[in-house]
Amino acid sequence: MAPPAEVLAVRGLSKSFPGVRALDDVDLTLHAGEVHALIGENGAGKSTLIKLLTGVYRPDAGEITFQGSKVSFATPLEAQKAGISTIYQEVNLIPLLSVARNLFLGREPRNRFGVLDIARMNREAEKTLRGYGVRVDVRRPLRTLGVGAQQMVALARAVATDARIVIMDEPTSSLEPREVETLFSVIRRLRDAGIAVVYVSHRLDELYAVCGTVTVLRDGRRVHHGSLADLDRLALVSTMLGRDLGEVREEGLTKFTGDHEATDTQPVLDARELTVPHKLHEVSLSIRPGEVVGLGGLLGSGRTETAKAISGALPVRSGRVTVAGVPLRGGSAPAAIRAGVSLLPEDRKSEGIVPGLSVRENIALAVLPRLSRFGLVSEARVDSVVDTFIKRLRIKASSPHQKVGELSGGNQQKVLLARWLAMNPKVLLLDEPTRGIDVGAKAEVQKLVDELAADGLGVLLISSDLEELIEGSDRVVVLKDGAVVGELTGDDVTEDKLMRTIAGDAQVEHLAKEVATDG
Amino acid sequence: MQRTTHRPRLLTRPGVVALAAAVALTAGACAKSEDDASKDTQSPAAAGAEQKVVTPKPGSKTCAIDAYGAEKLDLKNATVGFSQSEKEANPFRIAETRSIRDEAKKRGVKLLTANAQSQFSKQISDVQDLLAKGADLLVIAPLNSDGWDPVLQAAAAKKVPIVTIDRKINATACKDYVSFIASDFVEQGRRAADQMIEATGGKGEVAILLGSAGNNVTTERTKGFKERIAEKAPELKVVFEQTGDFAREKGQQVTEQLIQSKPGIKGIYAENDEMGLGAVAALKGAGKKAGDVKIVTVDGTRNAVQGIVDGWISGVIESNPRFGPLAFQTLETFTKGEEVPQDVIIQDSAYAADNAKSEISKAY
Amino acid sequence: MAEATLRTVPLDKARVLQWLQTYGVYAGVAALLVVNTVITPHFLSAENFRTQAVQVAPVIIVALGMALVIGTEGVDLSVGAVMALAASVTALYLGYGLLPALLVVALFAAAVGLANGALVALVGVQPIVATLALMVGGRGLALVLLPQLEDLRNPSLASLGSGDVLGIPYLILIAAVLAVLVAFVVRRTTFGRQLLAIGDSRPAAQLAGLPVRRVLIIVYVVCALLAAVAGVLATARLQASDPTSLGNLMELSAITAVVVGGTPLTGGRVNIAGTVAGAVLIQLLTATLIKHDLPPSWTQIAQAIVIVAAVYAARGRGKR
Repeated sequence: MAPPAEVLAVRGLSKSFPGVRALDDVDLTLHAGEVHALIGENGAGKSTLIKLLTGVYRPDAGEITFQGSKVSFATPLEAQKAGISTIYQEVNLIPLLSVARNLFLGREPRNRFGVLDIARMNREAEKTLRGYGVRVDVRRPLRTLGVGAQQMVALARAVATDARIVIMDEPTSSLEPREVETLFSVIRRLRDAGIAVVYVSHRLDELYAVCGTVTVLRDGRRVHHGSLADLDRLALVSTMLGRDLGEVREEGLTKFTGDHEATDTQPVLDARELTVPHKLHEVSLSIRPGEVVGLGGLLGSGRTETAKAISGALPVRSGRVTVAGVPLRGGSAPAAIRAGVSLLPEDRKSEGIVPGLSVRENIALAVLPRLSRFGLVSEARVDSVVDTFIKRLRIKASSPHQKVGELSGGNQQKVLLARWLAMNPKVLLLDEPTRGIDVGAKAEVQKLVDELAADGLGVLLISSDLEELIEGSDRVVVLKDGAVVGELTGDDVTEDKLMRTIAGDAQVEHLAKEVATDG
Repeated sequence: MQRTTHRPRLLTRPGVVALAAAVALTAGACAKSEDDASKDTQSPAAAGAEQKVVTPKPGSKTCAIDAYGAEKLDLKNATVGFSQSEKEANPFRIAETRSIRDEAKKRGVKLLTANAQSQFSKQISDVQDLLAKGADLLVIAPLNSDGWDPVLQAAAAKKVPIVTIDRKINATACKDYVSFIASDFVEQGRRAADQMIEATGGKGEVAILLGSAGNNVTTERTKGFKERIAEKAPELKVVFEQTGDFAREKGQQVTEQLIQSKPGIKGIYAENDEMGLGAVAALKGAGKKAGDVKIVTVDGTRNAVQGIVDGWISGVIESNPRFGPLAFQTLETFTKGEEVPQDVIIQDSAYAADNAKSEISKAY
Repeated sequence: MAEATLRTVPLDKARVLQWLQTYGVYAGVAALLVVNTVITPHFLSAENFRTQAVQVAPVIIVALGMALVIGTEGVDLSVGAVMALAASVTALYLGYGLLPALLVVALFAAAVGLANGALVALVGVQPIVATLALMVGGRGLALVLLPQLEDLRNPSLASLGSGDVLGIPYLILIAAVLAVLVAFVVRRTTFGRQLLAIGDSRPAAQLAGLPVRRVLIIVYVVCALLAAVAGVLATARLQASDPTSLGNLMELSAITAVVVGGTPLTGGRVNIAGTVAGAVLIQLLTATLIKHDLPPSWTQIAQAIVIVAAVYAARGRGKR
């Protein structure tokens, strides 16, 4: 049998944005009927690659050959018309139109008078969707369908528009397990119909369930490609994270000193069985004063959600949090803050800083009521607090009155730290504290975290930077698909163990051990 | 967009004569006050009105039931639907609705009412509701002149005769609706001009407080006023025309600006009473005395007539809102099978210094 | 630095826009004063300035509240209806004396503000929708309470409307005091700063533990109370309660004053001095056109031009 036809060939694709080389000389080949996993951590270049393929961006260098001819799509619509369809995490259809109208949008059947033939459209829509396991009244507005069903409609639409390539960007992130099964069967049908599928996901189980080939991106480069079956989970994770197996690294690459002495055996923070629908499943962890607990796991494993659930920013369905022995009222950020829990959010720009306000106002934001009397702000006390922290954290701003939005990322992060330190917190939840800030500032922040722990704070550290996580943490709690899958302590806090745990080996080993002891 | 205005006229056909007589009777006090007013405010108004009578063109001014395509019925057993355009929040609308209700009660006719709250779409659905509830006849005070096609079609399908009051609709009389009953707004403007000429002696600068823009009442009251000034008192100059939106506060604000930029202004013609009263408030606030600036208004509300008694207002032209008797009389005549005029124009009265005190009780 | 020199031209344009947004409104007021002094007879007189100030006072008072709401990235369309409601309630309770009547007015206004604030802060309804409901419902209620204009003959109310201290009408004094008070609240209180933070970035304010809901509710209550003050003052000046037309289109005048005064609709910044100047600018513009007897439609067109200019100037500083 002749090898299936090459549908897409990407050669030497590069794309830069100011200050970042988002994609660097990347190749990608897709054959008809291939389900190709595209994986990589945040910032690896996956979405840039997808956007180049679908005409959202234009490449700086390289060429895209689609079905034998060189192409250059100016708009996503052009790409779609040529046969490259994308199913995004958020369904990009029109929620108020009927299911059938959405399915046939832009190619509605018309009768011989050129008038919309609604009856025929509904009939055909119903028939088509049944093939995707969606049995609904197609006259209903799309938004009345569940997310999974909406995604099926989007998929059916993509296939119906004669797509040769379907790109799925984390299609299962909001699906129920049953819907995932349906999706997989649809993907297999697409494959059998000779359509190439690019599947982006962080869920390893899914990748191994449907994908045949894989491309791994890291820092904008292709670091691996080939058959997925030839790459076991551990190898996949280590390739993705850029760590060679068993490689012993010298410590000291980060400013973390590594160990802290927990000053108290009583945890300052204790979270028990936090559950958030679709996001977290019975996540428990505790932090003692003076301890830095790392939260490990791949993107989408529930790290950020755990931090938010603890800090009251994300309502939990069940579970409880106690701070220094006192139970917290769930779902209330002010209550958590009053109890001494402070969250440095991952999305610094939209959830952390208040960009239009000055450095001074940003630092004083949370502590303001304490610096006020009868609702009147004491400017002198604000100045003294702000001065203290600008000096202590070495925040570089032209003046305290400069807008925070104008500062560098590192200084913005320091302003946020100052905002919380001014509150004298007991627990700091740091979600990616050093992402997107320059090396110097990164080192400073790392050093600061160490100092704070030494001062007796409990710290929860979330980082995609493995070195940072391993060297900075005394213990690492590992999450996978929203649940705790392991905890590394003492000498086990190594990259190797972490990757094994993420890949699922640890569980197997652990189980094996249990079985062994039982036997 | 100018519609020919007709004065009531004697017609040879018996039905119309009967109607005219009935109108004279049922209008009662109004008719009387009109007579008095014509006498008291002297002849110009009356004389002008007579000159304006247009010779009726045969066939275009009356309407009979056969031509309209409805069926005869006895008004006493009929259900009448009344659709009011605006909230009964000003004296005119209050008096208008009350007059319709009173007349229905007096005649023992079943009345269904609806108020569109100044929303045209609501008025359309109001009228459709009235039809659905079984109205045999409709009296409509339209909010707009245009956009009535859906209602007219629905009414035609049920053969329901329509009489519109106070504003006209743009449609064919005796086909889409039977009759239009209203005051002659141009004539009101003319009579206001007569009062202004008398109060000011026909010389000097005067101002107009216009009603809301894009409203036929505003355009017609302005047109009549200016025409008459130009014709009778060329030395009286209209030097200022600003809208007061038929509201007292706006009338006050605009007048405040006016008396500062034109301290020599001699008269203010307010196209409704509320703006006139706003002008009075502005003059009082500026330390003027009653009579320093002559004010003439249109409507005939009690407050304005009281203003004449107090000396702040020189004259008030009435715009009679009591449409009940005339509307029901028209419907009765029509449903009996007799002819009715397509345009029924009301005789409005007027108030001035000499009759204000004695007739204030008639003001609404 | 090298980059800065390369981008001289666009930077200059941005600077001009920024200058316009911050000072344009004052320049506009100054220009109108100069032009009117030259072309409008009897313009430069104490009576004229008094008239303009008295007429603009209620607009300023409403605009102060509107500025606070806009500072939270919201808008309050119900202010005109609250004015009408204040007028109705004043008429109904004036029999018990002015102060009791004012107290009841405050209660009604606070109720409207609470409803607005609760819809926005607790239910999460968009401000424009939440306050639209009360814009319609509030005036409806005003008309149910008092179906038609009613003349009010109460000496205390009359003196509130037309009295003065040392030649300065109460209306102007009250507007000035309120403007200073609101400016103080914005600049010097915890509440004011929290309001700005919420307007600039609601998620950040929330995560920083600010009492977002409480601040939002208070802002809408304050806005309604200020509108009620304006409604009472306008009623006092007219010596009549006119729920049908009092406050009609006031929401637009107030929003215009706020935006023209340099407060961005995107929230996070409140310019009280600019808001006052914005209201004065519109007042002078209207007065100029009326005094010269230009067609009323010109006023609307002129206002539209001012708004477009203000929005254009604001464009350069909007959120990126």
